Amino acid sequence: MSDPSILAALTARLALLSSISFGGFPTVLPDVRHFVVVAHGWVTDQEFTNYFALAQSIPGPNMILMMSFVGWKVWGLPGALASAAATFGPPCTIYFASYSLWDRFRDARWQETVRRGLVPVTIGLVIASGTVMARAADVDWQAAAVTIAAATLMLSTRLNPLWMLLAGGTLGGLGLL
Amino acid sequence: MSKPDIKQSYPEHPSLAAVSIAFLKVSLYGIGGGGGLVWARRITVDQQRWISEQDFADIVSLCQFMPGPNIVGIAVCVGTRLRGAIGAVAAVSGFLLIPWTIGFIVGVLCLQHAQNPVLQHILGGISAAAAGLLVATGLRMMLPHRGSPAAVIFASLGFLLMALAKLPLLIVLIGLAPLSIAAAGFQIARAR
Repeated sequence: MSDPSILAALTARLALLSSISFGGFPTVLPDVRHFVVVAHGWVTDQEFTNYFALAQSIPGPNMILMMSFVGWKVWGLPGALASAAATFGPPCTIYFASYSLWDRFRDARWQETVRRGLVPVTIGLVIASGTVMARAADVDWQAAAVTIAAATLMLSTRLNPLWMLLAGGTLGGLGLL
Repeated sequence: MSKPDIKQSYPEHPSLAAVSIAFLKVSLYGIGGGGGLVWARRITVDQQRWISEQDFADIVSLCQFMPGPNIVGIAVCVGTRLRGAIGAVAAVSGFLLIPWTIGFIVGVLCLQHAQNPVLQHILGGISAAAAGLLVATGLRMMLPHRGSPAAVIFASLGFLLMALAKLPLLIVLIGLAPLSIAAAGFQIARAR
């Protein structure tokens, strides 16, 4: 796979998908899978699933890493770098433009209304993503207890949350979850 | 609120290096979907006091409406707020460069090995704790709004529609945002 047109096609598709990934990059994962697995056969289904699981468990920019693994498989290191750039570049530009616009109208009266309306909905969604993650992670009651303990400790103490992640990982590694 | 690790001053313009290092931490500490949000709030609001709770909630709202990884958006917006365009570049570089390099090398090495069960269990335990931290971060963000019935209602609706009805995020946002904004407009008009 050394045809440069393959690299260009993958990069262009990822740049397009990242620009329309409203609600986060996972929303366009099915499209990415269709493009690289079904339409072109560059990556097998099993490889695609492995990339996902791995990217989820490595700290850092998960989806950018996952697309880098895809790019690595398709076109080596240049593929990995191009895929990473295509995943974060276009959204960064959009974020910058929209935040600058938002900041310019900071004192406008309509912004106060929009803010007061949007913020509670957003917070509800943050709590929801926590519980969606918990549902996936809490395979038994011991794991659920870890989730509840972590949430309680974070709300009621100023303990560094890294300790809770470390405790979760240790309990899991010892086979207690 | 008076622990020694929390700064009482409000630096107007933190250095680019400080912004970059803050987002390097956000990136390395945040494991699993949404994990970065926990640290972004803790570091920029609680510890450094670079931005207010309200500004942070604003930025998170804005980022949920935009395409792309939300946490990268938070880096762009906080960086822009602190130091303009160059601040955004500093925040995103801190967030991406080192973590991407480490993650990519570790990932490519891992992909060459079979699935190790002990590793899987460790990762499972970490995800369980990480989920609890994310819920707690959401509840913390809600604290300043607990006195407003409309805010509590719309936060609960957002939670229920996404967590229980399992509707896609964009649908929930498009459905609830106009109603919630209208309610806020009504409240503000009545207060005048």
